[in-house]
Amino acid sequence: MSETLRQVGIDIQESEENRGLIAAIRSDNPELTVRHLPGLVKIQAAGQIVINRETVEREIGREWETGEFQLAIVSFAGSLSEWDDDRIIVKWEH
Amino acid sequence: MQYELRYQVLEPKRQTYQNVIDRFGDQPASRYLEATLDVEPRENFHYRPTWDDSRELYDADYSVLKLADPYSYTDPRQFYYTPYVTNRAALHDEFNKQLNYLEERELLAKLPAAWRTVLSSVVLPLRHYESGAQMVSVGGARFAYGTSLEQCCTFAAFDRIGNAQMLSRVGIAIGEGTGELLQVAKREWLDSEHLQPLRRFVEEAMVMADWAEGLVAVDLVDSLVYPVLYRELDEVALTGGAGAYSLFTQYLHTWFKDQRKWLDALITAWARDERHGEANREHLARIVATWNPLAHEAATELARVVDRQLPDAGAVAALARTTTAAEQRWAKITGDAA
Repeated sequence: MSETLRQVGIDIQESEENRGLIAAIRSDNPELTVRHLPGLVKIQAAGQIVINRETVEREIGREWETGEFQLAIVSFAGSLSEWDDDRIIVKWEH
Repeated sequence: MQYELRYQVLEPKRQTYQNVIDRFGDQPASRYLEATLDVEPRENFHYRPTWDDSRELYDADYSVLKLADPYSYTDPRQFYYTPYVTNRAALHDEFNKQLNYLEERELLAKLPAAWRTVLSSVVLPLRHYESGAQMVSVGGARFAYGTSLEQCCTFAAFDRIGNAQMLSRVGIAIGEGTGELLQVAKREWLDSEHLQPLRRFVEEAMVMADWAEGLVAVDLVDSLVYPVLYRELDEVALTGGAGAYSLFTQYLHTWFKDQRKWLDALITAWARDERHGEANREHLARIVATWNPLAHEAATELARVVDRQLPDAGAVAALARTTTAAEQRWAKITGDAA
């Protein structure tokens, strides 16, 4: 049975602090589409979006806890299938 | 009457400044990149410096260590003026609170006699070392090629004077509000046997014509002295009845970790540069071979004095551990260049 990959998406508030986060998501997910709306950055990908703590830390130049992700997001489409200290994965589980 | 509410997106004519667009295309960029990339002038200099007509005012040739593109290096901390100032103001506020606490309870004045001696003959004189290291950083701030390097040096120079101020304030607090102890510390710096190798080292680094060599040389001393005095000795202080020492050294140790972030990244960038990497690695190896024995001698003298006053401190042993760690770190960041 073949499945088409459904789109998952995250909307991130556009701000100076979140720019590094967006850059990190971009470098970890090459298939990403990014749209800039006023005050909002909508990112979408087929299947899943991965956010690695290490990549984010490299981009923003300081320590980052995955919990801080909550301060950045406005909404998301998909399920949070994994959320631990090092990694967040958004994808559809069903 | 009906109203229809619609939102309309006004596309900005440009997302960022031209200096960033030239490199990364027209997309929103961080304030750090906007304030850093290609800011330093590169062409159309009217005349050459009167004191050196073989070079331009801003010239890559002020150092043998070069990057093909100085902006391939960026500060991992992404410090430009505002975040730097905010960050350091917070650090100094915290330090002030700690110092007030120590002063209110006269904890520094109650330090055991041996610790007082260690402070006045080893730790406090280091404010003159910090001052020398500041001059070396200022040299980098002036002569480094590329804003990304130059601004790191500028901030490091301010940090150094901040460190010297922290030490001075501790000295004044121990001297119960007088500068007596600082005067003692200055005499030690000028006359005492055990401080002369370090003094000579930093003075020679100050007059190095090559700003980068001076910077790396000072870093070689830093990576021995800071871990020994401000981390290892701090642990001894906690168990040896000198908790006050521990309370203020943690700031210097925190600073050193922060300093490592940009300096390690810079040394790595030099060692791995695609065009100049090989030459840079040779120069780095030469710099280490020249300065490291002197750095080691300077640090050993300090450790010996500490051990004489505090037989349980084991500073010489701590120095040996630190040396191994520093060598391993160096091999890692340079890709085994030296």
